Amino acid sequence: MIYAVFAPLLFAIVIPFLSRMKHKIHTGWLILPIPLFVFIYFVSFVGSDFESQVSSYNWIPSLDISLSFHLDGLSLLFALLISGIGSLVVLYSIYYLDKKERLGHFYTYLYIFMTAMLGVVLSDNVFALYAFWEFTSLSSFLLIGYWHFKERSRYGAIKSLLITVSGGFSLLAGLISLTIITGTTSIREMVNQADVILESSFLPLVLAFLLLGAFTKSAQFPFHIWLPDAMEAPTPVSAYLHSATMVKAGIYLMARFSAIFGGEPSFFMLLSLFGIVTLVCGSYMAVRQTDLKAILAYSTISQLGMIMAMLGFGTDIAIFAAVFHILNHATFKGSLFMIAGIVDHETGTRDIRKLGGLMTFMPMSATLALFGTFSMAGVPLPFLNGFYSKEMFFDASLQLSGYAGTFVEIVAIVLPYLAVIGSIFTFVYSMYLFFGTFRGKYKEEQLPVKPHEAPFMMLLSPIILVTGVIVIGLFPSLFNNGLLTHAADAVFGDEVTKEISFWHGFIPPLYMSLTVVVLGTILVLTKTKWEKVYNILPGNFSFNQIYDWGVNQLEAASNRITFTYMNGSLRLYMVLLLASVTAITGTALFISDGINFEVTDVAPVTVHEVLIAIVMAIAAIATIFVTNRLAAILVVGVVGYGLAILFVLYSAPDLALTQLIVETVTVALFLLCFYHLPNLTKRTESIAQRGVNIVISIGFGALMLVMSISAYNSQFFETISDYFTENSYKLGGGDNIVNVILVDFRGLDTLFEVSVLFGAGLAIYTLIRFRKNKGAK
Amino acid sequence: MEILMAILASILFATAIYNLLQKQFLRIIIGTVLLSHAAHLFLLTMGKLKRGNPPVLVEGVTNYTDPLPQALILTSIVISFGVTSFLLVLAYRTYTLNKSDNMDELRGSSDE
Amino acid sequence: MSNLAVLPIVIPLIASVISAFIPKKLGLSRVIAKLFAIIFLVYAGYLAWVVFTDGIIVMQSSGWAAPFGISIVADYLSVTLVLITSIVTTAAVFYAPSSLSQLQETYYFYTFMFLMISGVVGAFLTGDLFNLFVFFEVLLMASYGLIVLGGGKVQLRESLKYVLFNVFSSMLFVTTIGFIYASVGTVNMAHLAERIQEAEQAGVLTGLAVLLFFVFAIKAAIFPLYYWLPNSYIVPNPVVSALFGALLTKVGIYSILRMYTLVFNNDVGITHEIFIWLAMFTMLFGVIGALSTQNVKLIVTYNIIPAIGFILMGIGLYSTSGIEGSVYYLIHDMVIKAALFFLVGALVVAAGTDDLRKMGGLITRYPVLGWLFFVGSLVLAGVPPFSGFIGKLLLLRGSLEQEEILLTIAALITSLLILYSMIRIFVRGFWGDTVEELPEGQNKKVRNLTIPAAILLAISIFLGIGAEFIYPHVETIANMLLDRAEYINAVLRE
Repeated sequence: MIYAVFAPLLFAIVIPFLSRMKHKIHTGWLILPIPLFVFIYFVSFVGSDFESQVSSYNWIPSLDISLSFHLDGLSLLFALLISGIGSLVVLYSIYYLDKKERLGHFYTYLYIFMTAMLGVVLSDNVFALYAFWEFTSLSSFLLIGYWHFKERSRYGAIKSLLITVSGGFSLLAGLISLTIITGTTSIREMVNQADVILESSFLPLVLAFLLLGAFTKSAQFPFHIWLPDAMEAPTPVSAYLHSATMVKAGIYLMARFSAIFGGEPSFFMLLSLFGIVTLVCGSYMAVRQTDLKAILAYSTISQLGMIMAMLGFGTDIAIFAAVFHILNHATFKGSLFMIAGIVDHETGTRDIRKLGGLMTFMPMSATLALFGTFSMAGVPLPFLNGFYSKEMFFDASLQLSGYAGTFVEIVAIVLPYLAVIGSIFTFVYSMYLFFGTFRGKYKEEQLPVKPHEAPFMMLLSPIILVTGVIVIGLFPSLFNNGLLTHAADAVFGDEVTKEISFWHGFIPPLYMSLTVVVLGTILVLTKTKWEKVYNILPGNFSFNQIYDWGVNQLEAASNRITFTYMNGSLRLYMVLLLASVTAITGTALFISDGINFEVTDVAPVTVHEVLIAIVMAIAAIATIFVTNRLAAILVVGVVGYGLAILFVLYSAPDLALTQLIVETVTVALFLLCFYHLPNLTKRTESIAQRGVNIVISIGFGALMLVMSISAYNSQFFETISDYFTENSYKLGGGDNIVNVILVDFRGLDTLFEVSVLFGAGLAIYTLIRFRKNKGAK
Repeated sequence: MEILMAILASILFATAIYNLLQKQFLRIIIGTVLLSHAAHLFLLTMGKLKRGNPPVLVEGVTNYTDPLPQALILTSIVISFGVTSFLLVLAYRTYTLNKSDNMDELRGSSDE
Repeated sequence: MSNLAVLPIVIPLIASVISAFIPKKLGLSRVIAKLFAIIFLVYAGYLAWVVFTDGIIVMQSSGWAAPFGISIVADYLSVTLVLITSIVTTAAVFYAPSSLSQLQETYYFYTFMFLMISGVVGAFLTGDLFNLFVFFEVLLMASYGLIVLGGGKVQLRESLKYVLFNVFSSMLFVTTIGFIYASVGTVNMAHLAERIQEAEQAGVLTGLAVLLFFVFAIKAAIFPLYYWLPNSYIVPNPVVSALFGALLTKVGIYSILRMYTLVFNNDVGITHEIFIWLAMFTMLFGVIGALSTQNVKLIVTYNIIPAIGFILMGIGLYSTSGIEGSVYYLIHDMVIKAALFFLVGALVVAAGTDDLRKMGGLITRYPVLGWLFFVGSLVLAGVPPFSGFIGKLLLLRGSLEQEEILLTIAALITSLLILYSMIRIFVRGFWGDTVEELPEGQNKKVRNLTIPAAILLAISIFLGIGAEFIYPHVETIANMLLDRAEYINAVLRE
């Protein structure tokens, strides 16, 4: 199985080389066999005796991450869709994409996607699933941005990436939580421990994380906004990723986890509500669109909502209907996208306002579109598969039971009505799509290219898909035993048996379907009368605006925030730094009860030391006020030499000596610098600034004082220095203990102290010399 | 006495920081010099003051001041000296290139 | 045997001194630099192998037993970081000739670089708090030399701020060491650990722990102390920025990782809680910074900060997952940051500008660079199966295990924004219409700059896909950090 998953990826690597031969042969032909073989491989599993398969490969066993693939009914359905539609899309793209295009890029991205998507639906390991999941987002990003010189493509690509990847990260958090709760990374194991998950206090969080991941990926309201913009991708991509496969990853995920959350009321509520709202909004918005692909995009959104809602219902009929509709939707929507691409290709526009009356020029395409749109609309005819799943959806929406609670009951009452409303609009845009394009008045002057029928090979893929529509329509139970029941089993966790038939008698779902057709027809006929409603709702409001605003703000606000404090002012940086250090350290010291003023064990105070200290303090404070170079040297010198005297008094002759030398050299350096740098001026700080400076410096000084006194008073241990005194002569061979420490005990310090000086010397040399060389040039 | 020295070192710290918060290079550099004095004084004080003779072994004396802080201070003094020298030259070069010794005029802008 | 531990410090130091004597013989300098880098790399690999097979190696310098001398401790964490440092160094040596002007190279670039490496490696290896200060000074002094190299107006201006910040933090470091010495009476880390544990980190010690944390936090560029970083990292040459970005802030965060697992871990309710909050702000403010600018170098530079936040997050969580995550993330980030700075350097050469608004369509002429950038962005954002993912996975697991929901969400948002901040460079710089005034004749130079970056990126990808080879080592490191007995015994009892 691993070969089937990774075959497209392996070929993706060689595609760039194959594409060099594209002048002789379209790259698509060379690689068409791969998805076809994968498809055939998965077809071989189809049958009533299907047993789920597992094949596992180690990847990072110590982190419990493995490439373990689990093929059950649900995975099989998706794998077939991915490889089957994939093959058709490649075939279609051979005629859609000109040899002049960058075919290598296109097919590489497409095949990366294929592997990623197969990985998503087959992985049993949650982290492998997540990895593949992110790769579907990334390949989708690259494909949407395929014509990257177009502004809209770039915009759409980033939008889809931001929304789907944010969902991906959320999904990751959800999956990690699940692994923490269950202690396993295998989905099958998690299903076994469903009760543990349902009882966990983490549950709401896990649900929120997972649902966010699924909703963003499957374009559920209000995260649907990326999908219409994703239509900037070449049409084969739209047909493949953005209708048949990738956008169903969220659906897949929810179906997969239904086995865990199936009995959880909040799962039902959230999925049903978001699904149904998406259905209604998507279909409502689709009617307003003028671009063929945009209509289809909103239509996809609404259909995804419908499937999501059915998963939420969670009854056996609903789940069977969901699985069935996944298949049906792939057939009719895939073909419609391809037809839209053909129309675009042959007429040069996708704007439905410019199109019309194409039936005479493109009879074949029109026929295919007729089946596609009518199936999508759920027109009750016994050769359209869309009708069956739609009716099952109505049926399911009427049979919500098993959940208690007032709110749930209200929702259960409202749901069927919303389902009908959504379906009415579905009917309207389906008709609008077909009649607007192929019937009506032919507007020759508005078309960039004179329309003609597409070559047969280009029509082949939609023909195959429409054949699927009709075959399933005529024999609705054809795939039940071999495929759909297995898939539904996998979701429902129990045997689902279902016979699908056209006629059930006069029952509510039939009335609902008839209502849809009647009201839908009325609305189609009177469309120009009520169209103005879109000016009121949504009017100018859209989630796109929120997104655009958000993204713009992301940079603008970041800029504002960052440059309020990163304004290049050293003083501001220092103030912020010191204030935070003082505040946090002070608080920590206080709450850890670290302040210790119980003075013990101090040396006696003597007058001359006090005097020196006072002089030094005065000199230090004077540095703030001096405005004269010499005075500045003087006061700094007083502090430095004062320190040397203190060293002498405190039994540190070596220090005193070093301090004297260093101080003298420093003063000399200062003199040199004073000579070159401008004279000290009066401090020019505003009163507020001065206030802040004073508070900060005194605050930090106080912190140091409290720290030092507390540290001094909390001597928990004897110091290690007795050892040095004892062994200095014995082992170190020297009388001067400090010297012995420096050159022997801590010789390493001294070695590197020297290298600091070495570095400083070279750095100073470089600073001075580099300029001269530059000047010489 | 240690408490007094701690107070002195804290005053040095505070004045050092006040100088660091100024605009003129010179004042800032004076700040860094005071800062190192403060740090060294702290280090010395923390090793206890006046607890014996200078740490040079003399026959018959067993009572010496803690030598380790002194060794550490010595290392630190030398390093600070290196850094201060570099800082002075850097300040000088920055001044000659930028024609200003005012930190406020050396903020730069986001366009660079 | 124990002298093995000190060689990684000595080798770069020797290289540094030798190249100081032959600054004008550029050809020879380059050969020597490459030679030493490779020796260093091979040796670091060997040392890592020895330590992971035979256990921690401790060298008591000049033969004085700890805690009286200075212990150089080659433990699992430090040898791993030394190895990564050697990889980055080698890549930098091969990158430098194409990136620097010849004049810059002759002004002791290699001397400063190796001196800095010596300091960095010393900081990783030392087991003595004051010695750590000394190595900090070594690497800082060398970094001062590197940052002013080339000496433009803007460069010196930002260098000055950089130096001042570091002088402040160094002096605060010395002072804090003084305080700690007063209270605990030693500066050897293992000895400190033992004594502080015995004292149950009572009284002033927690306050000292927080103060010391801020010393390192300034170096590590943790919120709210990172102001010095962004501008000072973009002014020097990209190869210098790469070394800074990959190594310098990492020394800071390494010190935090070391000190707050080994020494100060008795009052995690205060110290590590502070870390968690600061980690959160570090991540968010860092990435907000990355979004705030259109300067490609600055975007990558700002991205250093959230990475530090991620590492700090794991230290704050102080659990097996958290520490493992931090270590993994640290290793990953050192490699990828160097790679990204190299790539940005190549990008700036290719585009002739560092302003994203003036770029566009570069992918047509520089496809390899473009795709490397794309992959690099993914690695940085922690997209599986690349290296950032493993670290992030562990960190998020640690965070969720302790029900730190806010922290988890902050980390996720940060990841997303990191990806966005980087993908902007790809979309705006590489996609779109080619700008007209693209500099000509840079292809060869760009290629030379791309190769070292590509190698680092390959290593980085291996760190993710080949996690099975890396993770057990990270586990060993984390176990050692969480159970400090092995380290303490190795230093004090052998």
